[in-house]
Amino acid sequence: MMVLRRLLRKRWVLGVVFGLSLIYFLTSTLKQEERTMRDRTLLEVRDSDHRIPWKVRFNLGNSSRQITQCRNSIQGKTLITDELGYVCERKDLLVNSCCNVNAPSSRQYICKSCLANGCCSIYEYCVSCCLQPDKQPLLEHFLNRAAEGFQNLFTAVEDHFELCLAKCRTSSQSVQHENTYRNPQAKYCYGESPPELLPV
Amino acid sequence: MFAGSGVKVAVFDTGLSEKHPHFKNVKERTNWTNEKTLDDGLGHGTFVAGVIASMRECQGFAPDSELHIFRVFTNNQVSYTSWFLDAFNYAILKKIDVLNLSIGGPDFMDHPFVDKVWELTANRVIMVSAIGNDGPLYGTLNNPADQMDVIGVGGIDFEDNIARFSSRGMTTWELPGGYGRVKPDIVTYGSGVRGSGLKEGCRSLSGTSVASPVVAGAVTLLASTVLNRELVNPASMKQALIASARRLPGVNMFEQGHGKLDLIRAYQILNSYRPQASLSPSYIDLTECPYMWPYCSQPIYYGGMPTIVNVTILNGMGVTGRIVDKPIWQPYLPQNGDHIDVAVSYSPVLWPWAGYLAVSISVAKKAASWEGIAQGHVMVTVASPAENDSEVDGELTSTVKLPIKVKIVPTPPRSKRVLWDQYHNLRYPPGYFPRDNLRMKNDPLDWNGDHIHTNFRDMYQHLRSMGYFVEVLGAPITCFDASQYGTLLMVDSEEEYFPEEITKLRRDIDNGLSLIVFSDWYNTSVMRKVKFYDENTRQWWMPDTGGANIPALNDLISVWGMAFSDGLYEGDFTLADHDMYYASGCSIARFPEDGIVIAKNLKDQGLEVLKQETAVIEGVPILGLYQTPSDGGGRIALYGDSNCIDDSHRQKDCFWLLDALLQYTSYSMTPPSLSHSHSRVVPPTGTDRPLPQRLEGNHLYRYSKVLEAHLGDPKPRPLPACPHLSWAKPQPLNETAPSNLWKHQKLLSVDLDKVALPNVRAYRPQVRPLSPGESGAWDIPGGIMPGHYNQEVGQTIPVFAFLGAMVVLSFFVVQLTKARSKPKRRKPRIKRPTYLQQQQQQQTTTTTTTTGKNPTV
Repeated sequence: MMVLRRLLRKRWVLGVVFGLSLIYFLTSTLKQEERTMRDRTLLEVRDSDHRIPWKVRFNLGNSSRQITQCRNSIQGKTLITDELGYVCERKDLLVNSCCNVNAPSSRQYICKSCLANGCCSIYEYCVSCCLQPDKQPLLEHFLNRAAEGFQNLFTAVEDHFELCLAKCRTSSQSVQHENTYRNPQAKYCYGESPPELLPV
Repeated sequence: MFAGSGVKVAVFDTGLSEKHPHFKNVKERTNWTNEKTLDDGLGHGTFVAGVIASMRECQGFAPDSELHIFRVFTNNQVSYTSWFLDAFNYAILKKIDVLNLSIGGPDFMDHPFVDKVWELTANRVIMVSAIGNDGPLYGTLNNPADQMDVIGVGGIDFEDNIARFSSRGMTTWELPGGYGRVKPDIVTYGSGVRGSGLKEGCRSLSGTSVASPVVAGAVTLLASTVLNRELVNPASMKQALIASARRLPGVNMFEQGHGKLDLIRAYQILNSYRPQASLSPSYIDLTECPYMWPYCSQPIYYGGMPTIVNVTILNGMGVTGRIVDKPIWQPYLPQNGDHIDVAVSYSPVLWPWAGYLAVSISVAKKAASWEGIAQGHVMVTVASPAENDSEVDGELTSTVKLPIKVKIVPTPPRSKRVLWDQYHNLRYPPGYFPRDNLRMKNDPLDWNGDHIHTNFRDMYQHLRSMGYFVEVLGAPITCFDASQYGTLLMVDSEEEYFPEEITKLRRDIDNGLSLIVFSDWYNTSVMRKVKFYDENTRQWWMPDTGGANIPALNDLISVWGMAFSDGLYEGDFTLADHDMYYASGCSIARFPEDGIVIAKNLKDQGLEVLKQETAVIEGVPILGLYQTPSDGGGRIALYGDSNCIDDSHRQKDCFWLLDALLQYTSYSMTPPSLSHSHSRVVPPTGTDRPLPQRLEGNHLYRYSKVLEAHLGDPKPRPLPACPHLSWAKPQPLNETAPSNLWKHQKLLSVDLDKVALPNVRAYRPQVRPLSPGESGAWDIPGGIMPGHYNQEVGQTIPVFAFLGAMVVLSFFVVQLTKARSKPKRRKPRIKRPTYLQQQQQQQTTTTTTTTGKNPTV
């Protein structure tokens, strides 16, 4: 106890304690500042080194399945697309959130309801179609010249699946006169061009 | 200690400045407008964010929550659907948990926007939105708060009265054939609430904009208390909020929804929640006044139009669900349940998290002259795919009971029954149907639904008080039995008529049905003049009809030698000792010579609108009464203006005139005050002037149920089939229900007494009522959520630094006490924080006329 008290009385010990606290305090404050600054640049140019990790094609087969837990498209009324590109009915979703590949409804990389311009009537098929490995050059091309309004969105996208989920959603590109769809049928687009403009 | 940690909250508003002292966890700010800033220039967004998450002075509910600021409104309060679409997509990507939208607009037919809101909730984003500031008028609910999947919030003051501004009335999506849903979902403080000021400090603000973040903050706090976050979804949160809400006495469900937010009870319910389905409202008691107004205002009887109650099914089990088999109707035999017939229609798929269950109730023939109360219930089983079930094809199911109680009376005589024509009323959205009173330039659209339970509510109440039974016709004129009704009431009709309807009405009137028409203006020059550039859709808007569709009405009444003109008149006058105001009405151009016609001197408003000149026209025929010649034939009454029976922008009501006209049409009693009036004139023959023609190139066919596009002029469609209800096969029960249905409704498997209270008790709002004069004044520090956080302001300072400082401090204490003999080297100085208080005036709300989303200040 005496030792501790004597130690505490030493001015340099106190100085060190105080100094360390001060440094910690300042760094944590500054770190917060820095983070806000980075958020702000979101509005500006895309990081040139931001790369989308393109998903390599998985070897499929019941045993060699390399994924244990899937992300999927969550929102669907009846259909769901998992991150491997399978579309299935909700009832055929497994506990790990992947489609049961053996279910009759499950199909991989399916472009049903999609038109030649890359716009589909059903969101889940759009995502599945977009996940086809051969769509990668198209998506890369799009990312490189994404419209300004999409900077926020596509800078935050982490991989091929997230990109397809985001790209297929209706957006400012999908509307005319703000409150009507350019094409109420084929409105989910993985391609570069907006939906074909139909007359009101 | 819960304060919203780990919950991502998005505020869609006017932005937030970077270094606002009230916020410790602003994760990200993004801008979606065309202005190159992230900062709030108005104070609206800062206030809203403060109510949710401010950590000092006027404290919010959840200071530890992760704030995501989305700037979607410019400093000029401009916003576009397309900005929202992109911002919403980003919110989905960021996996936002709670999203506050203190924003709303009348356009529930903005499909890209409405679809996107569904998409958000389908991605488990809990949407909280302001119901709108267009009260006390009914039929003023704003989108997206009026959506089933969104938590729509209304405002109350600190005395628990519904705030005057809070929008109310049923949803109007379902008209004319169906009936609206109950909204708002809940109410909370929205008047004189304190929140963060633009740069610093606090201010107080009123509006449903304020009520919405109170709920969003509460929802954030609640979400952070739940151990198993999987259970929190847009439906379960809404179920917990409405099951726990405290009902306000004397207020109906179309004003207060389920009542006032109760955070503690919501906590208890949410923390013992098991996934299930529930109903909103949870029971149907058509005798319960005033909560079940308007249902409780008129008993049902045999032969009447079925009473429809549009119940919302909330499904906490999954984003998608379905109704298993069919809902079952079980009348209680001891309680005369067999005296009613019930038909149920419902959403084929409950998505996202919700669906409708429309219950139509009719009286069975055997009770045609019976009076009494009938009870029973509808059983519904909802199933959702099990997400955490190991079996394939696993389903969660939940069965809910909807108790029903109705009052039946013997069918009233024909003369007492009035039929309101809803089918021929068109409104905004979808088309530009202009307001009936042209003086109201800041509210150019006819958007309140034109229903007896929305903006014709006062008229309905009046007719009920006079003993009339009012029913609504949501189908073509060919679809009702005219022998049952005394009078058909057509007010401010914009729709066209099928040729079959015209023929049928003529036959009905020959057989004794009477007709009252309250028309409105229709002048093509004025219609061209009132076109405007709509900022929201970035296009010119030309009205598709005038206040009413006079060319169509003239087609309907021409067979009796009657017609309205395209004149446009305005002015005050006295009729039968009543002060009257004619607001933008038309005149009668033709009337049979043996009819009674009243004329008045009025201003030519058409001239005023077109040329800014004033002229008084003498003897404008505005009212006509006519007895059709056939034996037992009905009577027809025409009046040129509907504004005096419409609640919106009404200056002087003319319910007395409606009474007089109904006396005439229903009982054949000609009011002497009209037949012997000094203003009575010779009926106009109108042959000197051509009758009004439809505006060339109008787009009415786009919104009409009657017309369809055709080469050349639009043509009537084929007459649709009349609605047909298939009555549910009753499965009678020998059971009785309690007389008070409300008390027995709650979420399943929740025993409130068994749930321990958390330490969120201190968050119970302790609000200080603000008297009208001091709304801008400063409140005691602590704001709307006092207590706890005052001691916690220092939480941002890292714990280590704090400990270090304590060591230093204790050293000095030791030094002081142990070594008094030594001369003092230093005197510790303690700096007291001082609160800089500064007065700020409450922002005065400027109303902008837009069809799109407005910040509901």
